[in-house]
Amino acid sequence: MNTRSIRKFVAVSAVAVMSVGALSACSNGDGGSADGVTNLTFWHNGTAEPILGIWQDAVDEYEKANPDITIDVVPIQNEDFATKIPLALSSDNPPDIYFNQGGGLLATQVQSGQVADITELTSGWLDELGAASGNWAVDGVQYGVPYASQVVGFWYRTDLFAQAGIDAPPTTLDELNDTVETLKAAGIAPIAVGGKDRWPDAFYYNTFAVRECGEDVLKKGLADADLSDDCFTRAGQAVIDFIATEPFQDGFNGTPAQQGAGSSAGLVANGQAAMELQGTWDKSVMQGLTDTDLDPLLGWFPFPSVEGGKGDASATLGGGDGFSCTQEHAKECVDFLEFLSNDDIQTKLVESQVVAIPVKAAASSAITDPVVKSIYDFNSEAAYVQTYFDIALPTGVGSALNDAVANLFAGQGTAESVAEAVKAAK
Amino acid sequence: MMSTTTITKARAGFTAMTPVRYLAALLIVGVTVAPLLFVILGGFRTNAQINSDPAGLPSPWVFTNYANILANDAFWRFLGNSALVSISSTVLAVGLGSMAAFALSRYRFRGREAFYSMFTIGLLFPLGVAILPVYLLLRQLHLLESWVGVALPQAAFALPVTIIILRPFMAAIPTEIEDAAVMDGATRLGFFWRILLPLSRPALVTVSVLAFITSWNGYLLPLLVFNDPANFTLPLGVATFQSQYSQDTASILAFTALSIVPALVFFIFAERHIVGGLTGSVKG
Amino acid sequence: MSTTTAVVTPDVTTAAGSPSPQGTTRRRRSTLRKKLELALLLGPATVLFVAFVFFPLVAASYYSLFDWNGFGPLTDFVGLDNYTKALGDPLFQGAIGHNLFIVIASLVVQLPLSIALALLLNGKIRGRTGLRLLVFTPYVLSEAVTAVIWLSLLQPHGVVDGLLEGVGLGGLVQLWLADQNVVMFTLFAVITWKYIGFGIILFLAGLQGVPEELREAASIDGASGWQTTRLIVLPLLGPTIRIWVFLSIIGSLQLFDLVWIMTLGGPAGSSTTMATYLIDRGFRRYEFGFGSAVAIILFVICFVFALFYQRFALRRDTQGALTGRVE
Repeated sequence: MNTRSIRKFVAVSAVAVMSVGALSACSNGDGGSADGVTNLTFWHNGTAEPILGIWQDAVDEYEKANPDITIDVVPIQNEDFATKIPLALSSDNPPDIYFNQGGGLLATQVQSGQVADITELTSGWLDELGAASGNWAVDGVQYGVPYASQVVGFWYRTDLFAQAGIDAPPTTLDELNDTVETLKAAGIAPIAVGGKDRWPDAFYYNTFAVRECGEDVLKKGLADADLSDDCFTRAGQAVIDFIATEPFQDGFNGTPAQQGAGSSAGLVANGQAAMELQGTWDKSVMQGLTDTDLDPLLGWFPFPSVEGGKGDASATLGGGDGFSCTQEHAKECVDFLEFLSNDDIQTKLVESQVVAIPVKAAASSAITDPVVKSIYDFNSEAAYVQTYFDIALPTGVGSALNDAVANLFAGQGTAESVAEAVKAAK
Repeated sequence: MMSTTTITKARAGFTAMTPVRYLAALLIVGVTVAPLLFVILGGFRTNAQINSDPAGLPSPWVFTNYANILANDAFWRFLGNSALVSISSTVLAVGLGSMAAFALSRYRFRGREAFYSMFTIGLLFPLGVAILPVYLLLRQLHLLESWVGVALPQAAFALPVTIIILRPFMAAIPTEIEDAAVMDGATRLGFFWRILLPLSRPALVTVSVLAFITSWNGYLLPLLVFNDPANFTLPLGVATFQSQYSQDTASILAFTALSIVPALVFFIFAERHIVGGLTGSVKG
Repeated sequence: MSTTTAVVTPDVTTAAGSPSPQGTTRRRRSTLRKKLELALLLGPATVLFVAFVFFPLVAASYYSLFDWNGFGPLTDFVGLDNYTKALGDPLFQGAIGHNLFIVIASLVVQLPLSIALALLLNGKIRGRTGLRLLVFTPYVLSEAVTAVIWLSLLQPHGVVDGLLEGVGLGGLVQLWLADQNVVMFTLFAVITWKYIGFGIILFLAGLQGVPEELREAASIDGASGWQTTRLIVLPLLGPTIRIWVFLSIIGSLQLFDLVWIMTLGGPAGSSTTMATYLIDRGFRRYEFGFGSAVAIILFVICFVFALFYQRFALRRDTQGALTGRVE
């Protein structure tokens, strides 16, 4: 066989393979109704186990009980949602059911006209989900339902703390700074942060603002997208000062939050950093990045109090996860969401430690881990939970805020930069 | 600077240079090929192997990564989608482009150069610059989520290069041939179809190859047009796979390696023509 | 065959197409027929081109004057505000800077390197075709796949780090994609890896157009190797160099895929390019009016550069292309 005939053979087989592929691509119809069966697309952000399995099992169960419905499950990496959802809502075929964190993010999406008003459809069972569902309403109209609430606090490695000789987690900012120094002295990276994704950086600014600002000032500032009050400037300064103590791992500006063993979650999971300021979902993410059982090794403490701060010391930053529906199959979507909200699935989410604060009170009895229980109680007793700023604000403004904080982490900007960026983006 | 001393030596005598040449060749090939080898071999390892010894050889050789991907229909669907889009885009670009090049090279009419200049303006900026308004146009035309929505813009942006390469080629065909054809009773269009196109085969193959590669490697337009993963083209599929399975390095490497195969196969086949009528594709 | 010059052939001779001298009727019929033929031949391409290249640009110019989230009608006219905002945004300014960095670095590093390597490889070495094949391979890969490959290789404690440490150069290990001061250099290195083969092949083709007799004549006249290269080979390589530079710059200006996948413009905007800025603001943040303004700015930059370049640098090579006359 000479070169020419080899080339010919390769060419012919390549064309053959591609034709087969092309034909199958051609025949790929889009979702819709075909002889009585409705096809729904379901976009969620649970790309890793165990949540991946939980959603898939839920879908399988629902399909069995509803033979006239089929659901395409599309897990999408959390960080890709910010690109994909605007594009989807701009197109003719947005997903029927999609992951949504409510707040101003949802409000911006509603402007597309594609998000379905499900006030009527959910009126029968919305109350069971508690006050959290308010975050998925815009001007009194319900546009989504939550399945979990979250709070943000410091996850920490009890073993690394013990190794460094730290007896108790810090409760004030000064104590936190001391803890950082002690860990550094023991050769342990004190705090891991996923700077690449920007929103973990914003957690610091947000929590400092929650500490510095009184509730009314905070809520008003975010509602108006106006962070000109002094307390926000103080928060910005606090972030700058905190970064100056060098508490983070090497290369924190390029570390992703959740992707891979080199992410900030992965670092804590593998014992390469001692703390991470993150939400309640993080434990499940961390467990997915290591084979070691993290249950005995992880503890949690809330963001420390800040001296002179006008915010309530028990207030916390938090938010939730939920789903929204688009217009075309709103009815079927809501039916599926009602199914997803049942106690059974809620309990599974809690048991797998994906969710620490379920929306259904009944599921909370499934919490066995004392650390998670402490978080749950903390949430119940918190004075108020402030939604993450980038979700509370409209999308463009929220992105601008995250970018401005990320700049602070990169050593650029002043205490007023964040407020200025928000003003410019309005 | 390396070149000064080595080239001085070069002219002095062949034998002194040759080992340097071979060394340079070896280095270039090494740097070029090593990352690809890493990817291909990486697919034969487990994640544990990769984490513990990033640069090592597979031991033992694990075939499940490749097997899983080949068994899963996602990879094949991406491949098929890419084929559909790229073939359509190429046929359209070369078909329309050759007709336009014929008109622009062998007809004389007022405004001919204006037409030609119009097409060359397209060379000055690639699809990436116009992506936002193109997206909005596709949305208006309800061509989102469709392979047509990707093939049409790609073909449109491939027209400038196609026409710029084909026009001089077609113009260089001697007029005697055309005269002879006309005298034999052929129409000008008949001449185009039966004589000029076959004669232009080398150039046609070149522009086809260039249009095909540019389309096949496209990422941004498919990223914006396709929401449903079932419609993704291969580069988009690879990037999405990487993002979704970020902790499964071995699978990502296997997937990437498999997606390189079509490009390599195509390249082996078309290498002469790519290198031949060059300067078509811009960077990216 | 001198392949590169074929692309930029100056003279385009037209074929005979003049109507027959016999009778006005026949002339009129032929003219009508010719018009129809032209419409058929030129029409579809023109329609496609105008629809997807010209019209979007015009539309973008219009959208850029509004504050628009992409949904519903355009109601919020803001004039040139989007442009001032973009040009005044330090992040966009940084993006322009990053694009410029790639442009200049390509000229300063990739160009001499490609030429030097092409010169080196121009001699008789065994396995030259295989070499050409291998060296050209990265060019054929998509940027997306290239990005995924190097993302894997450049992970902290990944292959690159492992290799450096293995040969004792562990001190050189950086946070390739995480360090703001290093990231653009890393990206440039990846770009070079991808396109150096293209440059080498292009210049090898160009070198083949340099007649051996010229070189021999020069050395007989007593010119040294370097002098021959500098005074004879390089100038003859001129058209090829100019084309390479044109393609390189246009490509550098619209860099997207690689950056988007590897760093998303981070950390903290230290690797943003004009194109990633455009996609981030235009699509992710629902700012279609603003994004359109950025697109127009990007277009103007590319267009002005290309126009200047065609006029002054390529004038001698491309008399037919944009500015010159054709028979």
